[in-house]
Amino acid sequence: MKNVIEVKNLIKEYKNIKAVDGISLEVKKGEILGLLGPNGSGKSTTINCILSLLNFEKGTIQIFGKPMAPNAYDIKREIGVVFQDVAVFEELTVEENIDYFCGLYINDKRLRKQYIEEAIELVSLNEFKKFYPKQLSGGLLRRLNIACGIAHKPKLIFLDEPTVAVDPQSRNNILDGIEKLRENGATIVYTTHYMEEVEILCDRVIILDKGKVIANGTPDELKELANMEEKVNVEVDSITEKQLEEIKKLKNVDEIYYHNQNLTVIYKKGKNNLITLIDYFKKESILYDKIYSERPTLNDVFLELTGKELRD
Amino acid sequence: MTVFKAYLKILNKNKFLVILYTVILIFFAGFNMQNNDTGTSFMAEKPDVLIVNENETDNVTKNFIQYIEKHTTIKEVQETEEARNDALFYRDVNYIIYIPKDFKNSFLEGKKLNVEIKSTGDYQASLAEMLVNRYFNVANIYRNVIKDEETLLEMINTTLEKEVFIEVTSKLDIEKFAKATLFYNFANYSILAGCVFIICFMVSSFKEQKVKLRIMVSSIEYKKFNRQLLFSNSLFAIVLWLCYVILSIILVGDVMFTNQGMFLILNSFIFTISALTLALLIGNLVHNKEAMSGIVNVIALGSSFLCGAFVPTEFLPDFVLKIAHVLPSYYYIHNNDLIASLETINLETVKPIFLNMGILLFFGFMFVVMTNIITKKRNR
Ligand SMILES: Nc1ncnc2c1ncn2[C@@H]1O[C@H](COP(=O)(O)OP(=O)(O)OP(=O)(O)O)[C@@H](O)[C@H]1O
Ligand SMILES: [Mg+2]
Repeated sequence: MKNVIEVKNLIKEYKNIKAVDGISLEVKKGEILGLLGPNGSGKSTTINCILSLLNFEKGTIQIFGKPMAPNAYDIKREIGVVFQDVAVFEELTVEENIDYFCGLYINDKRLRKQYIEEAIELVSLNEFKKFYPKQLSGGLLRRLNIACGIAHKPKLIFLDEPTVAVDPQSRNNILDGIEKLRENGATIVYTTHYMEEVEILCDRVIILDKGKVIANGTPDELKELANMEEKVNVEVDSITEKQLEEIKKLKNVDEIYYHNQNLTVIYKKGKNNLITLIDYFKKESILYDKIYSERPTLNDVFLELTGKELRD
Repeated sequence: MTVFKAYLKILNKNKFLVILYTVILIFFAGFNMQNNDTGTSFMAEKPDVLIVNENETDNVTKNFIQYIEKHTTIKEVQETEEARNDALFYRDVNYIIYIPKDFKNSFLEGKKLNVEIKSTGDYQASLAEMLVNRYFNVANIYRNVIKDEETLLEMINTTLEKEVFIEVTSKLDIEKFAKATLFYNFANYSILAGCVFIICFMVSSFKEQKVKLRIMVSSIEYKKFNRQLLFSNSLFAIVLWLCYVILSIILVGDVMFTNQGMFLILNSFIFTISALTLALLIGNLVHNKEAMSGIVNVIALGSSFLCGAFVPTEFLPDFVLKIAHVLPSYYYIHNNDLIASLETINLETVKPIFLNMGILLFFGFMFVVMTNIITKKRNR
């Protein structure tokens, strides 16, 4: 299938910083693409350039195989955008807000009514239809913000950090909603700096840093880049230097860190690594408390690639 | 339509303030009208006139006296000048007409001043004066053409019969008309406050930076959106104006349908246009809804005070009036006053009125230009 979005060599400069520095990316039909990056890495700027909201210095942008431009209304008709900041009318109710923004795309009154219902359903705001934005909690407001952006059933959806500062319940609700949008056949570009969300949701991830693409692939492919297979964390009562040395020599162990009774063992490959470690503890009569094994996260990937944490 | 629909919904939620401005208008204008209301009783009353005839009663004199008698209440006092002055002073008599000895001849020869008068100078006196002027004006028309004394008097009488009634009512309307002017002067505040508040509010709601982004990524052309918003705002201003016109008709009645009334209405329409453009300018300058009510007060109350919407301009100090020249309200209210004193309508008399309207439109034009400059700068 052809690409829904094709960006080539995009460069966007603000006075003296390159907010976007030569980004190229493709988004395939029906996938959820995660744009992952720390604050200020250029995620929003990239999206705004793709949407023709910003002028850019260099690069080409094609959507649905056609060049994107501020007046490409046939393309815009098929796009839905949920901005990072909540953008609604204070004076209109939940329902009226969705009606207005949906009305920018859909003229047919009856169809619009149905779409509004479905959008409200999607973000579970049924009980709040007649509420004003002021009466909504932060999480509910975000959900309204999403409903306003996607009510017209666009084929391509941009979501810019829709879960920032949202309670867990709303977050799950939002993620479920996005999943449903994909099931309905939409292509989604999803921006966040929460790697957990990306791992659950995204088919493919592009990691940005300082305006550059530093990695691109499925979550599993990216984790390969983390250069590890498994990470075991244990809380130990006490452990000697000698014992630490011995653990380091156990099968498959790549590296160990010990700090404040917290032991982290990193394995590059292999299976049953946890059992080997527990056996060793028994043999040496080392008392341990919590023990858990982790697969590498995208944070580890980011750490490996840039030498810094994704979130500060 | 989407923009217009949302506009109506938001307007509906802000209707309270517009209603408040209107109530203020009804209240103050209505209250002031009550004060002047003694005028209605005047209207039914004929002026009290004293005729001092030093002439023999020839036909010409008789005809004139009959005419005066018909339309006024004739009073009689002692035949001394002192008694006559007293009568004037105590308002027993509004108007004294001295018919000179050679009245008949000078009348037939068309000499300028046929009679001498003394007047209390009040409203009823002016009514009497109007009657006298009318008689001689009509007489002047026929005198040169008709040489026969009897036919001349007959022609004068029939013409006067036809016209005097209309002329009297139009003069009687002065009182009502003063009320209409008062209403429209006061409407300066309500139109300005209503337009500036609502339109600023709407512009800042619809053009709020983030909401605007949503419109810019949508499939609606931004220009089209702007046009819809402009249309909604203009419609609001015009409906507001129309409401006030209807209100004025309810409050002061059919005097609004006279030529002068129409001028007042036209003047207020043109003022509404300049208020609309001013509101659009401010709306594009200030996006802060909290600052809005302050701005409305400064602009609407400020220019209403400075330009004499509440207080007649004669009572304002000179320097205030000089400052007021930079405000559209000044030309609007000045124009209302000009229209109020409009005696006859001809090119000479309406010229300054249209000039003021032109100035108002020029203000509107300047506001539009400034708005365009600002929005262009913003978008860059
Ligand atoms: N209007 C602007 N003027 C100047 N610099 C800007 C402007 N907008 C963004 N930047 C800069 O461009 C860079 C990228 O910003 P951008 O908003 O795209 O980051 P982001 O990845 O979306 O971050 P966040 O997670 O905080 O939303 C940042 O360094 C930011 O300071
Ligand atoms: Mg951002």
